[in-house]
Amino acid sequence: MAVLGVREAQKLATRRRVLDAASDLFNEIGFEDATVRAIANRAGVSVGSVFTTFTSKADILNQVMQDRLEALYEEAGRFIPLMRGSTADRCRSLFAVLYAFETRRVKLFLAHIAVAYRWDMEPTARPFGANQVFRDLMAQWLKEGVERGDLRPDIDIPAVIDLLLGLYAWNYRLAPAENADAERLTQVMDQQIGMVFEGLRPQT
Amino acid sequence: MNHLPLRSLTGIANVRRPTQRALAKQRTREKILASAKSLFTEKGYEGATIRDIASAAGMSTGAVFASFTDKSDLFNEIIGADRESLFEAMRAEAVGANAEEALKAMFDAGYRFTLADLPLLQATMSVSWSPDLGAQVRGRLNRRPITELIAEVLTSSIERGELSRDTDVGLISQMLWDCYLANFRHAAFEGWGLSELRAQLGKQIQVILAGARAG
Repeated sequence: MAVLGVREAQKLATRRRVLDAASDLFNEIGFEDATVRAIANRAGVSVGSVFTTFTSKADILNQVMQDRLEALYEEAGRFIPLMRGSTADRCRSLFAVLYAFETRRVKLFLAHIAVAYRWDMEPTARPFGANQVFRDLMAQWLKEGVERGDLRPDIDIPAVIDLLLGLYAWNYRLAPAENADAERLTQVMDQQIGMVFEGLRPQT
Repeated sequence: MNHLPLRSLTGIANVRRPTQRALAKQRTREKILASAKSLFTEKGYEGATIRDIASAAGMSTGAVFASFTDKSDLFNEIIGADRESLFEAMRAEAVGANAEEALKAMFDAGYRFTLADLPLLQATMSVSWSPDLGAQVRGRLNRRPITELIAEVLTSSIERGELSRDTDVGLISQMLWDCYLANFRHAAFEGWGLSELRAQLGKQIQVILAGARAG
């Protein structure tokens, strides 16, 4: 392993402090209100040094969400091998895990959805809904469902995944509006998944 | 009715032609709204400042604050008016031989309307998901709930006997609307146009309606 110079080490430490401060601040007051200045203050660094490692506030959020993904994969990775049953039931389990994980920092996740529609996203950013790991997993389950004859052979898999992810994301509106917790969100999603998979059954 | 209550007579007596002053105020308001709309579209909610909006409208920031309390007031006014127009555009097209056709025609009108000004939708979405300002924005948008238009289409389809009486109209309307909105992500980031959005939503409507018929 290459030994880091003092400057690089300092830069990394600054980066880490900015990411931690931003993660807390986004979750406390939301993305729009958390200014770069406020993030810098909380991290105890100058605004200028924030911009030496990040190009924008959206870039900071992007990195915060990337870091969180690792924790999510670890958590989901423990559950996914245990997911059995029909494609619908596996999807229900997956979304239950996602809701349980994201509602711990719900404002942060709402910011993530909000930013997914901004016009000024960097090309490197990964907006919500583009997570290939979960898309691939659902695609695999849907294919297996078709092979078993549980699902119609002519389904458009990406369109169905977009439908499920869209429902999943939009249910989060219940979090600020009705103070919905993970259990409530999962309950709504279960019902919606039921409706979607009824519609995917082979025509008789 | 032969006689009117006194209060309404007073009301009639008070109706006058708007004064020059009132007309000028209205014109100022419209000018501010027009420049604010183009700046929100160009720079998003956060990027557009009252100062920019005022100078684009050719007036002082004080003149802007005389008509609107703050930036969020301005933004809410703009997206409220935009939602009214979207609602009318979709309602006008919500016709078809069956639920699937009526929904497709209606959402098609929605996509056409919004694609003409996609950045404004992006700014709206972005703000509507933010915790504090979002509540105001959502409240404003919900004055014209498109889910009610969708529910009307589904209800008449139930009356025609295409869908069963115990169809959960609320659940399905919300699902259709969420799915319609979620597809805009592709328009914003992958350059999807009307035909791609239309094709994808068409398949999704079919799945949801098949689910509704089976359930």
